[in-house]
Amino acid sequence: MNTYLQAGVSGVMTGGLYAVMALGLSLTWGLLKVINLAHFALILGSAYVTYQVTTSTGADPLLSGVIVVPCMFAVGVAIQWVIDRFQVDEFSSLLLSFGLFIIAIQLISNIWSADFRQIEAAENPYATRAFFIGDIAFPVPQLIALGAALALAVATYYVLRHTYFGRALRALAYDREIAGAYGVDHRRIGMLTAGLASAMAAVAGVLVGINQPVFPELASEWVGLVFTVVILGGIGNLLGAVAAGILIGLVYSQVSVAWDPLGAPLVVFLLLILALLFRPNGLFGRLGGS
Amino acid sequence: MEPRFLIQNARRIVAVAIVLVALAAAGTGASAPAQSGEPIVVGSTLSLTGAFGATGVIHKAAGETFISWINANGGLLGRPVEWKLLNDESDPAKVSALYERLISQDEVDLIMGPYATPNIVAAQAVAQRHGYVLPNHTAVLTYALTYDCQFPTWSAGGKPNLAVPQTVFKMLKTEQQTPRRVAFVTNTGGSTNFISYGPPSSSEGGAVEWARKQGLNVVLDLKYPPTTSDWGSIAAQVRAAQPDFVWNSGLALDPVNLIRAMEQLDYRPKQFFTLFPAPGPLLALGQASDGVLSVTLFEPNGKLLKKLGRKAQNIVRLFAQSAASNGLSYRVFDSQATASWTAWEVLAAGVRGARSLDNERVCDYLKANGVDTTFVGKLRFNPAKNNFSKPRNLVKQIQKGRWKVVWPPALRVTKLQAG
Repeated sequence: MNTYLQAGVSGVMTGGLYAVMALGLSLTWGLLKVINLAHFALILGSAYVTYQVTTSTGADPLLSGVIVVPCMFAVGVAIQWVIDRFQVDEFSSLLLSFGLFIIAIQLISNIWSADFRQIEAAENPYATRAFFIGDIAFPVPQLIALGAALALAVATYYVLRHTYFGRALRALAYDREIAGAYGVDHRRIGMLTAGLASAMAAVAGVLVGINQPVFPELASEWVGLVFTVVILGGIGNLLGAVAAGILIGLVYSQVSVAWDPLGAPLVVFLLLILALLFRPNGLFGRLGGS
Repeated sequence: MEPRFLIQNARRIVAVAIVLVALAAAGTGASAPAQSGEPIVVGSTLSLTGAFGATGVIHKAAGETFISWINANGGLLGRPVEWKLLNDESDPAKVSALYERLISQDEVDLIMGPYATPNIVAAQAVAQRHGYVLPNHTAVLTYALTYDCQFPTWSAGGKPNLAVPQTVFKMLKTEQQTPRRVAFVTNTGGSTNFISYGPPSSSEGGAVEWARKQGLNVVLDLKYPPTTSDWGSIAAQVRAAQPDFVWNSGLALDPVNLIRAMEQLDYRPKQFFTLFPAPGPLLALGQASDGVLSVTLFEPNGKLLKKLGRKAQNIVRLFAQSAASNGLSYRVFDSQATASWTAWEVLAAGVRGARSLDNERVCDYLKANGVDTTFVGKLRFNPAKNNFSKPRNLVKQIQKGRWKVVWPPALRVTKLQAG
């Protein structure tokens, strides 16, 4: 019984990391109609910068967020400016951002090589730490990821529901022309939203950096799972993304124990297919649950 | 200088100049025999990006070291050697196409194998079709390499699925560390699955079967897919089984992720063995990876390296420089670099022995004579055994932040650290 419980706890918290990765993607896809594959490169780039800052300065790896979050915000704004300037539609955004993804991964390879990079144990106080309740361990890196996912999703939900920026953004998502007629500046709102989404990618990157070694190919490994989280959670629904991340982590871990780790991906992607067939708007609906 | 002085001493100046030129020529000749003619072109691919990229770069650094070294030492058949290297992006389909291009369009003189078993198997088909010799450094699926002119240098024997567990468990028994409870955790990728379970459609078995036959108590036998991201649930199952010895047939970062997840659950078995790890990241785990065991062809530990002499010491030093310029953070000439260097030595020895670039003659020479190598001794190639030499499985262990050879007794630099 303890094995199921421990695996379940680990799974839920690993799901938190998937959720942090999914938040920004869900935000831009749901509200700006931009399917941003470059999001994965931004996460990876942030993880590398975290590695670099920590190994160069010996500072706490979480402090690297002070550098990467504003930097990635600026990158997100720049990408959105290009998308807006050239009036890139939803499908074309996929192609454009795929190109950006490839370029970014190559840049990362050129800077850090294809070699594995990992923050040394002495400089990473989080890597192997855990809190215990009885025999059940709560690993610190995943716990931070889950906390970050919840905090970001709740904060964004609040902003979308209770601020002018949020209302304007939702109005743009429903009908850009009508929103424009009411004075909503879609360029400014779009760039700000993309910047926030990329800042979320930066947070995910810092968490990846303290959680595991990084290498250029790593970004490709996330794509399938993170898209599953976004789709199951409901595109644009950030609380849904957190719930979907936790659900996937939980399913993955329980199948792994009850059946076989080899069967876990099968079940998760079967879940995705069923959701697409029977709940095409995701398990929790689109756009903030509405 | 006055013109008068030059005129008066013209004879002396000319004499001194002649002596200096002669000395310079002699000096050059002594350090590197003259090379002339068109360069010999060796073509190959490596996975410089993609899933195998991180290890592919090690082979690039080793290959570049060899090319510099051989050209500084007279080249091959008196000609300089050039390496035409292409990136196969870790894709066996691209490997086939690129080797076809190297041979048919670029008309390279010789080829060198790519990195990682699936790619080597893909290159083997092209090499065989064109009758090219294919030295290769990292083939593990011994049963799949049937071309009689492919020459593997990862000398794990014809049956590494039996030889590796035999070596490891014999060492543990001899050192009075025989485990009571063994857990197997296996990546289902081709090479690692083969070591744990043996060849497909065969009753031969692998490490798991071998352990059972030895009467060891196998308390867990768990397989995971190569793209596993949830290590917590695997670690939870290992902890629940309470093994005192964990055998991880894993690749690259697998042991790093598994050890980290087990540490988070506050579980550390007495002994942990892993097959094909990325050596650097394991060391970066610090105390958590102390005592981890693995197999190797060679480690440049002080005594071992000293025994091999100056040439080996120079190669290890040059490799470290090449690794640095290739952006590698772990620059030690370990198993991967050794296998790579040895494959290049096999190719060079074949050409020198055959005194020709004719691939058929090179192949015949290698089969008939084998090769004396710098780091792994004499390699003999027997097509009946798919040219895999007798096993050379050294066991290494992380001790105080460094990999050290602990087995066999004749080659170890320190004793096995008890769990």
